[in-house]
Amino acid sequence: MIQVRGLTKRYGGVLAVDGLDFDVEPGKVTGFLGPNGAGKSTTMRMMLGLDRPTSGTALIKGRPFGAFAEPLREVGALLDPVAVHSGRSGRNHLRVAARTNGIPPRRVEQVIEQVGLGGAARRRIRTYSLGMRQRLGIAAALLGDPGVVLFDEPINGLDVDGVLWIRALLRRLADEGRTVLVSSHLMSEMQQTADRLVVIGRGRLIADTTTGELIRGLGQRRVRVRTSEPESFLAALERHGLAAARIGAGELQVQDATAAAVGNLAHASRIPLHHLSEVEQSLEDAYLGLTGASVEYGAGAAEPAHATTGSSS
Amino acid sequence: MTVQPTVPVLAAPAERISTARLLARTGTAEWVRLWTVRTPWWFLAAAAVFMVGLGALLGLEAAADPVSLQGEPAWQTAQSLAVPAQFALIALALTAVTSDYATGGIVPTLQWTPRRPVLYAARVLTAVGAAAGLGILLALASAAAAFATAGSALVLPLDGGLEMAATTAFVFATGAGLAVGLGFLLRNTAAALVSVFLLLLLLPVVLPLLGYDWLATAADLLPGTGMLQLLLGGVGYQGVTEASAVMTLLAWSAGALLLGWLRFRSGR
Repeated sequence: MIQVRGLTKRYGGVLAVDGLDFDVEPGKVTGFLGPNGAGKSTTMRMMLGLDRPTSGTALIKGRPFGAFAEPLREVGALLDPVAVHSGRSGRNHLRVAARTNGIPPRRVEQVIEQVGLGGAARRRIRTYSLGMRQRLGIAAALLGDPGVVLFDEPINGLDVDGVLWIRALLRRLADEGRTVLVSSHLMSEMQQTADRLVVIGRGRLIADTTTGELIRGLGQRRVRVRTSEPESFLAALERHGLAAARIGAGELQVQDATAAAVGNLAHASRIPLHHLSEVEQSLEDAYLGLTGASVEYGAGAAEPAHATTGSSS
Repeated sequence: MTVQPTVPVLAAPAERISTARLLARTGTAEWVRLWTVRTPWWFLAAAAVFMVGLGALLGLEAAADPVSLQGEPAWQTAQSLAVPAQFALIALALTAVTSDYATGGIVPTLQWTPRRPVLYAARVLTAVGAAAGLGILLALASAAAAFATAGSALVLPLDGGLEMAATTAFVFATGAGLAVGLGFLLRNTAAALVSVFLLLLLLPVVLPLLGYDWLATAADLLPGTGMLQLLLGGVGYQGVTEASAVMTLLAWSAGALLLGWLRFRSGR
């Protein structure tokens, strides 16, 4: 369990993180989303004691990170996969980490195999691809078999096989009851992986909810129709207060409507339809709606509270 | 690719660990960290080749001119060679600190050991200990090489050896402490190395030559003057006693380590 309460970080006149409140629960994959500069990395760094909060707290299992006697055995984190000495071998990098927390050497070999670096562990890290460095960072995070894991953009640089692997790994870690917080800018990936989402913008909490609720709650329902009389149907839609636009020859997209309502209207207007379907909402749509609003209103403006359904927000 | 099971494989983490045990763990990790990259080995090789190689050559020179050097202790040869050779070991200690900033490795380092006083102490003790310990070993090897090639021209008295070892260890330790402190303060290898070179060698030699009494007095307060006094026996530094040299080196080393700690404590 991670508890963030009133977490604030100010760099001179810049408010990087502004009174964040949220929980990250065990047994779930929690996605941490926000535009560039939203304060995600700063928040994660404060969770790990790398930056001091201006005010507020970020507690892991009820304690600040620095209070753990053996932190690697409580919290595993991957922040920046290239932030390692590239002249050291992957195995020696992990050996150093293991020594600091009294972890037996056999565990180093286990995590090397677990992340699929068995054939490269003796090589210097400078010969690793970005994806291999990601795997090494994940190996270090898993080294102490921790109950809490934090991954900052773990999919960067991974090939398809690697993406599938980390997707399964995150799910398995959560299913084992661990607390999993993962930041990513890949909405499609988060939609497939995350159970909950914490969305921030300009350092402020925008949404703390399940992935499904976020998509359903913020994505506008849209309906796509194809007809031989697009102009007539556009006029009919406008008369009934529905916004629509032409998106192709004979094809319209109707905003904030259901397929049933649009179908009934076509029937009542005696306009033949060749196609009628609801457009599936995506997390990307919802995310852009949320963060776009955040930028539009700026820091200090009212937040879209209807999206915030989590217990802590 | 399959995902391996990640069921618990380790015993439960300890709730509390004594500071001494934590320091020992971190110190061991720092030792592994130091010697698992190539750079320290290059510095060590450079210092070894210089001290042992030149020690042997100076021994040969003594053998060729047995009259003027007859009965001189080989320890003195080693101490003289330690003046330039110390910079290789000081650089070794310095890069133990600055490489973590250059590579970004300080981020995982602080994740693994978030207790900064422990990490600082372990890193300082490891780097300074390595420089001092290797300094003693290389000085002994250098003296032995000089003695071996000098025939009967040089001597190797035991009591002089102990004094040489103690002096070399102190000078290397304080020089490394100065470098490590500056490394933590400046977080940059080149800047810290240039500063150390100025303070330990260039300024103590150059300032007295400029003809101003106050500059000569200022030079007496520099760590390099103390170092030269202790290793070379006060050549050109009549105003500096052995005791004042010791105090000067201690003060500079402790001051640099204090400043380094204040910077390290305040942020990553």
